[in-house]
Amino acid sequence: MSAIETTRHRRNRGLWIGLALPGAIWLLVLFVAPFYVMLSVAGGGVNEFFQTVVPVWNPLHWSSWNLSAVWHDIFGPGAFIGAPALRTLVYTAIATAISLGIAYPVAYFVSRYAGPRKTLFLVLLIAPFWVSYMMRMLAWIDLLQQGGFVNSTLSFFGLPGNTDWLGGKSVTVILGLVYGYIPYVILVLYAFLDRIDQSMLEAARDLGLSKWRTFWHVTIPLSKPALIAGTFITALPMLGDYYTNQLLSGAPGTTMIGNAIEGQLDSPGEVGQGAVLSLMLLVVLLIPMIYYVVSTARASMENA
Amino acid sequence: MPEMSGGHVKLESLTKRFDDVAAVDDISVEIKSGEFFSLLGASGCGKTTTLRMVAGFEPPTSGKILLDGTDVGNWAPHRRNVNTVFQSYALFPFLTVAENVAFGLKYKSVPKSQRDSRVAEALEMVQLSGYETRRPNQLSGGQQQRVALARALVLRPSVLLLDEPLGALDAKLRRTLQVELGALQKQVGITFLYVTHDQEEALTMSDRLAVMNRGRIVQLGTPEEVYNEPADAFVADFLGVSNLMDAQVEPGGNVKECCHLRLGDFTLEARAGQLDATGAVKVAIRPERIHLHPYQSAGVNRLPGMVERLVFLGSTTHIYVRLATGAALQALMRNEGAGSPYSQGTPVSVDLPADAIRVLPDPGVSVAEIRDETLGDQLLDVTSSVPASS
Amino acid sequence: MASVAGESVTTSPPEPAQVTMRGRVRGNPWRRPWGMEGFTWLYIIWSIVPIAIAVLFSFNKGASQATWQGFSTKWYVGKGVTSVLHNPSLHHAVIQTIVLAGLTTLICVPIGVGFAIGIDRWRSRTSNGLNFLMIFSFVIPELLLAVALFLLVTQGLTFIRLGTPAEVAGLVVWNLSWPAIIVRARLVSIGHHYEEAAADLGASRLGAIRRVLIPMLLPAIFASAVLVFASTVDDFVIVEQVSSTSNTQPMSVLIYSNVHGGLSGPALNALATIMLVVSLIAALIGFVGYRWLSRGERTKGDVEALTAVAGI
Repeated sequence: MSAIETTRHRRNRGLWIGLALPGAIWLLVLFVAPFYVMLSVAGGGVNEFFQTVVPVWNPLHWSSWNLSAVWHDIFGPGAFIGAPALRTLVYTAIATAISLGIAYPVAYFVSRYAGPRKTLFLVLLIAPFWVSYMMRMLAWIDLLQQGGFVNSTLSFFGLPGNTDWLGGKSVTVILGLVYGYIPYVILVLYAFLDRIDQSMLEAARDLGLSKWRTFWHVTIPLSKPALIAGTFITALPMLGDYYTNQLLSGAPGTTMIGNAIEGQLDSPGEVGQGAVLSLMLLVVLLIPMIYYVVSTARASMENA
Repeated sequence: MPEMSGGHVKLESLTKRFDDVAAVDDISVEIKSGEFFSLLGASGCGKTTTLRMVAGFEPPTSGKILLDGTDVGNWAPHRRNVNTVFQSYALFPFLTVAENVAFGLKYKSVPKSQRDSRVAEALEMVQLSGYETRRPNQLSGGQQQRVALARALVLRPSVLLLDEPLGALDAKLRRTLQVELGALQKQVGITFLYVTHDQEEALTMSDRLAVMNRGRIVQLGTPEEVYNEPADAFVADFLGVSNLMDAQVEPGGNVKECCHLRLGDFTLEARAGQLDATGAVKVAIRPERIHLHPYQSAGVNRLPGMVERLVFLGSTTHIYVRLATGAALQALMRNEGAGSPYSQGTPVSVDLPADAIRVLPDPGVSVAEIRDETLGDQLLDVTSSVPASS
Repeated sequence: MASVAGESVTTSPPEPAQVTMRGRVRGNPWRRPWGMEGFTWLYIIWSIVPIAIAVLFSFNKGASQATWQGFSTKWYVGKGVTSVLHNPSLHHAVIQTIVLAGLTTLICVPIGVGFAIGIDRWRSRTSNGLNFLMIFSFVIPELLLAVALFLLVTQGLTFIRLGTPAEVAGLVVWNLSWPAIIVRARLVSIGHHYEEAAADLGASRLGAIRRVLIPMLLPAIFASAVLVFASTVDDFVIVEQVSSTSNTQPMSVLIYSNVHGGLSGPALNALATIMLVVSLIAALIGFVGYRWLSRGERTKGDVEALTAVAGI
């Protein structure tokens, strides 16, 4: 941002602040404040009689009761949250990797080789983005039912056709996650890959690099921002996912952290612990989130 | 078009600082009403910043901007009776040509009935009658520039500011429009304040021009004055080829009429420039004033040299000569249909007429450094067909 | 390999392998990447076919999800069965979705656009901080925000009642990043020249924004509005968390809570298909609207409009 531009805008500061104010207020009241309430609930107690939450507003009076209960639930004997936590990491890692693995060739093809059919491909890629998550999961629930298409197709080919796909299989949940999140990954990758200058790749070929070498030494490094953005856009929300498991499995063997949080919120008296667990998840995600926010903000500043 | 009055611009000690850097450093200029005045300089010299201050997009750090006697330095742009033609034209893409031109009329309380006629008048002035319903993206670069011009002129400002408006056009179109702009200005009679880095443009169109360097005005005068009588080595090298050389003043000259110079092993007589200078000086001579004669021919102010390169430019031929002193010169020969008597490697005798040699004060830097300075922030001035320096 | 985006790769016929100075070139370097194209088509089929089947079976005469028993619209409008038109919860769900989406869009877009413009010009630490905050709201898992909002509404600002008010409030903040980011990006690419020109021609600061900036931002504003609308139709995490009675449940939440029992079968498919149609209509309006609004600008074409409507 050049010095010339700063002086120009400084003249009408009031106007800009005024325009940004409603959004700023909304953010502060409905984005920042809720987390303070969450902290107060986490550091608060329980009304034993009504089994309702008693938030403690003064930070100095926050108790660690809920925190130790949750800690116990994760690490102590009889812990039942440790497994979902670990599982969440594993599921997310695998699902993200698969998503990137599928999305990259597709995005690469459409952005660089589609030629005159680019519009057609884009429509086909963007369409699922507009189909609601519910519909996408519903579609697979229909197909994976005991009497559904997947099983009947398998038995048609002589393979066992009576697997209970929706009864608690990790495979189902992971593939469900992939199916649900991949449209976003493809679009983000496409957006970045589309901007890669073709002449850079041509220059590499011209200078003597083989196709494979060009891909490895030029295309991949140029795709790094794309892959990083794609990973963040997928993995961060996925770590808070609970509905995919709920829809496609519902069994305790495939629960994720999100389900654990939900469970605690539904149980009276455990809302405080739900708050603690949410905050723990937030803390874990804070560093990657900050990294993403800073690099995005910096990128948009540089373009200004 | 009703008679325009006013348009007298006076800048008094105008300065603009960004942090610690003075982009415009204590400039004082008086522009007459109805004059075509250019600010000429390389990138980063402060000419655009000066223009923007007159337009109102930058508040000055100190100094005054007097428009017909009133200090408008801190006025908002929309209050000044000054309009700008931007380098990027800034035509509003969502409006038609007519709507673009009519944009500012709304603020001038022009009754609706008169708006259409004023728009038509303005479009006719720029030779775009009939284009009212087109959209900017349907126009060529030259046409867009004319719409931008019409949009500003329709408001009948007392001063029109132009920020390198021809920069985005190709060379031939630029030359045509230069002539048209000059004619338009005379026809309309408004003061034009024109900013450019192209010295050919400035020389073609201006009544007077100011050469700027590092935020300061280095020389101010008519095109002839600035070209023929450059005040220093920078100005000499900026406006066309100057063939700058280092020299030493020798005793024996009559300070009023001529100056004796030592150039390497040779002595020369100079009759132009700062004849009372002493010590080390720079000398400049325009390529069209250099004459080439067959080798070993005799005469005053003749030095031996060798032709290094010939560049055929159509109407002229540039001959690059290397003097025996080591200096490289560029001479100009008109194409008179007889072909060139010289070829690469021919030894020649270079005649530097005494009244064409100009003595300039030595700024203390080498010729190469002066050349770099005239290029400013850019490495190459690819838009100018006549190189600023060889 | 050397295809420029927009040009067909098939213009040169396959050439035999050539020997160059750098060694043998295997095959034709300009041949079409069949592998990648095939892979892409496979992905597209895998991506779209399940949805197509689900839509198809919403028109199934019988209640089965696996065997086709004939075409019928009874799950949509039939009497005597659980159909969208006649079943009160399904019926209300459709209305609630539209109401939520409409309200959220109406509030979120103006606030977001003002935010984008204000933050872009008000350069200070505070504005940077607010910008960070906004991007944070974009990457945080929705569940965390939903829980926090639930707690806020039940424990703190109880004047925001659960149900539609809380849902709208939460949805606005969740979707604020769409107009904020999209309009901001467009703002950056527009630059400051047009407003300067307007000011030069006599417009005041506000006048320049009103007559020049907003019209130039309209395509982006429109695209972000369409995206907010569709995103709200789809949303269920926040809505589920802060909803009250089942009367305020939109389609997404209804489907979610009924998938494993309750209202079963094709009625849910019908509901989901309605959601899909609403979203696709929004997308279509967005695409057409974007193209029409940016018709004065040379570079806008189909691909531009498509990517704008997808938010990238």
